[in-house]
Amino acid sequence: MTDPLMIFDLLLALAIVALAVASLSVRDLFSMIVLFIIFGLLSALAWVRLSAPDVALAEAAIGTGVTGALLLKTLHHLRYVSGTLGQQTALGVTPVAPVPMGIILANAGFCGLITLGLLVAFLGAPATGPGFDALVAEAMPQSGVEHPVTGVLLNFRAYDTLMEVVVLLAAVIAVWQIERGLSDAPAPVMGEVWQGFARLALPAIVVVGTYLLWVGAEAPGGAFQGGAVLAAVGLLLLLTRAYIPQPAHRGVARGAFVLGTAAFALVAILVAGGGRVAFEYPLEHAKTLILLIEGVVTLSIAVTLAALFHGREPVALSEGGRHDT
Amino acid sequence: MSVELSPMILAIFLPLFGAIVAFLMPRMAALIGLGTLAMTTGAVIWLAHEVLVTGAVVLPLGGWGAPLGIDLRADGLSVAMLTLTSAVGFLVSIAALDSLKGADQVRQRQYFWPLWLLLLTGMNGVYLSTDIFNLYVMIEVIALAAVGLTVLSGSRAALQAGLEYMYASILGALLFLMGVGFVYLQLGRLDFAGLSGAAPTGALVAALALIFVGLALKTALFPLHFWLPAAHANATAPASALLSGLVVKAALYIVLRLAQYMPFPSENLLTLVGLMGAGAVIWGGVQALRAERLKLLVAWSTVAQIGLIFVAFARAGELGLTESWKAAALLILAHGIAKAAMFLAAGRIKDEIGHDVIRDLDRTPIRPTLAQFTFALAAISLIGLPPSLGFIGKWALMEGAMAAGYWHWVAVTMVGTLLSVAYFSRVFAGFLRFDRVRAPVGEHQGWALADAAPLTLALMAIGLGLLAAPLLSFLEIGYPFGVAP
Amino acid sequence: MTPDLIYGLTGIAVFGIGLVGALCAQDRLRRVLALKLCSVGAGFLLVVGAWREPPATPDPVPHALVITGIVVMVSATAVALALIRRLQTLEATDER
Repeated sequence: MTDPLMIFDLLLALAIVALAVASLSVRDLFSMIVLFIIFGLLSALAWVRLSAPDVALAEAAIGTGVTGALLLKTLHHLRYVSGTLGQQTALGVTPVAPVPMGIILANAGFCGLITLGLLVAFLGAPATGPGFDALVAEAMPQSGVEHPVTGVLLNFRAYDTLMEVVVLLAAVIAVWQIERGLSDAPAPVMGEVWQGFARLALPAIVVVGTYLLWVGAEAPGGAFQGGAVLAAVGLLLLLTRAYIPQPAHRGVARGAFVLGTAAFALVAILVAGGGRVAFEYPLEHAKTLILLIEGVVTLSIAVTLAALFHGREPVALSEGGRHDT
Repeated sequence: MSVELSPMILAIFLPLFGAIVAFLMPRMAALIGLGTLAMTTGAVIWLAHEVLVTGAVVLPLGGWGAPLGIDLRADGLSVAMLTLTSAVGFLVSIAALDSLKGADQVRQRQYFWPLWLLLLTGMNGVYLSTDIFNLYVMIEVIALAAVGLTVLSGSRAALQAGLEYMYASILGALLFLMGVGFVYLQLGRLDFAGLSGAAPTGALVAALALIFVGLALKTALFPLHFWLPAAHANATAPASALLSGLVVKAALYIVLRLAQYMPFPSENLLTLVGLMGAGAVIWGGVQALRAERLKLLVAWSTVAQIGLIFVAFARAGELGLTESWKAAALLILAHGIAKAAMFLAAGRIKDEIGHDVIRDLDRTPIRPTLAQFTFALAAISLIGLPPSLGFIGKWALMEGAMAAGYWHWVAVTMVGTLLSVAYFSRVFAGFLRFDRVRAPVGEHQGWALADAAPLTLALMAIGLGLLAAPLLSFLEIGYPFGVAP
Repeated sequence: MTPDLIYGLTGIAVFGIGLVGALCAQDRLRRVLALKLCSVGAGFLLVVGAWREPPATPDPVPHALVITGIVVMVSATAVALALIRRLQTLEATDER
């Protein structure tokens, strides 16, 4: 079965590279984002071909889905602010002088050399190098879950995962610090078809997201993928204006942002004692603890990603000054 | 259920919980922040005691042990960096109480503490880590928190600088990640122990190059320094102190650590690093001479000093690395303390006089004498006059370079010192000339309790030079660069 | 020609393309996108390194690393985009 699949791989690889070049060279920013989304989905497909379904799920949901939504929202805001909202502008919104061809070529040459060096290094690396395979296989029975990637993420290298959630928290704190108040750009008008779609899609999304979280213990899935799908609920609610963030809800929102990090860190510390170190979950409780952590982290991730999409702290509209308060 | 916690865990988790609580309760953020700093400093002192008594301490998180799990390790160098972060951080926090007390600075107060505590979490995590992917995640924590602090004031200049900083930061982190990928391809493991003793194959050389360029972007080594002057000059004073004094040191520390473990393909690499450092010393000095604003001058001085640290690192070539790292470490500590003091003092001067244009520093009747005195003391350490720690560091640099016969590094150091005397003299002239002011000049004006914290830092920078010997012997605990622990 | 070879070259190519964009793109949004391309390239490298010839299952640790990397990248992207939005608003107010 290798031949037809190899042709498929070659075509997919070509498409991915072509889309990357196209998204950077096309002039219209909206087209750039659309091409990027297609690029992201094809990359996810490539990762399925490389037997990495978890990663493909994460890239499709978070790397392409949420990132694409963020980019589109930012484009909408930029177009509104620069007054080009309704127009079919071909150029970018920030007035920039076109880069002289000489600089582009020099840069391309420089990066081309670097890429060539990396290619040579890649080809020289061992084809199937040593890895963590044996260590993981040996340790999986004590991890409390059956799916190896979940075991790595939530047990063997849980410290990294905790810090990853901290990065999300840092992002939402920074974003809330940067922007506040009402958005300048008017929300797009959502028609009845859209509202109907949201009504149908929302319950389905909740089911899919919760399923992804639940199944992560035995099969590809997990907290991040489930959290991103559930974030789509938040995005839909924000887009259809079914939920408009209120200043009064800030406390609850803050609580939701920190819940995942706090629970994860608390569990990590509280298991230490009686000869165990931090993050060393006792064998008989490992599965429960991991599920508990995953559940809370999923909730946090969903709320955080939705808040990052909304992009601003909902603050009462009394201040108009740009500098502070 | 009794919980036993290692001080290493406390050093990382206390700031994390502090950040969470400070974010949840914005009105009490300052109190929570100071309390967390105090407790974290206590944990670091406890850790220092442990390291002093038992040598390097290792903690395998989750009980799995490297390479599958992540290990935390504290030796002399780590603890020195942790102490730097806690001490400077504590004093900057006290100064921040005053800097951010304005009625129009409610939001700044509210967000400074969670962001700073998350920054502290990231930095302490870097200093205790032994896994290169863990380092990647930690430097991203640091990056996001640092950008948040850079744009705290909300001014357009700060946002512009913050965006450039963000681009450089993300690119640096991605280059680092690509390097991690190549290390995995070659070795199949990501911990320091796996790196030591590995043969420099093509993939590892590529990894080394990628990681170094990524870190050079993050530590603003010439010619990748473009983002630093604007970012540090336009941030509010306590944020600048943290950024220049502490944040750039994290990437520097990683370079030192990796040089300890990763194989060096050739001597020329070190020479290249030294040349980049020399370029920074000269270019930073020249730009500082041309700077019109005080904070911009101090920021360019950071660029020059970072370059000097890299020159110290390369001072005696590959053979001398087992000793050069100490000179670099001393300069790191000296610069961290002195630069934080200097930025805080510059902030105080700007608060009192109302502006920080160097040419007009002597045109106002208000003389913030204590802040100016602090600035001068900090400058003493940065120029490298005895008995400051800066002097000891430069002395170590030149001594090692002379012993190895690398006179070019000595020359670079001397040029750098002369340039720093020159640009700091511009500022001193502004402090000392009174003949331009028409109104009667009041003596000892502009003193405030707020000057206490920067003054303490500046005095530390000078006084620590006297403690150089015990400092050096502490740094050697756990044999960084020596016999494998 | 195994999948890992094909996609490994793809990943490095994408990283290089992203690098060109990050260095010379003038438009702010485009630079953010170029950096995202670089991150996808780095992800490819790790996943390729983890791939094992079937029927062996791949090494799960790089998969976990890439998932972490994706979440970290979306956080950084969100902050960068917030900066871009705010900067645009401030610049527009200045010009009026």
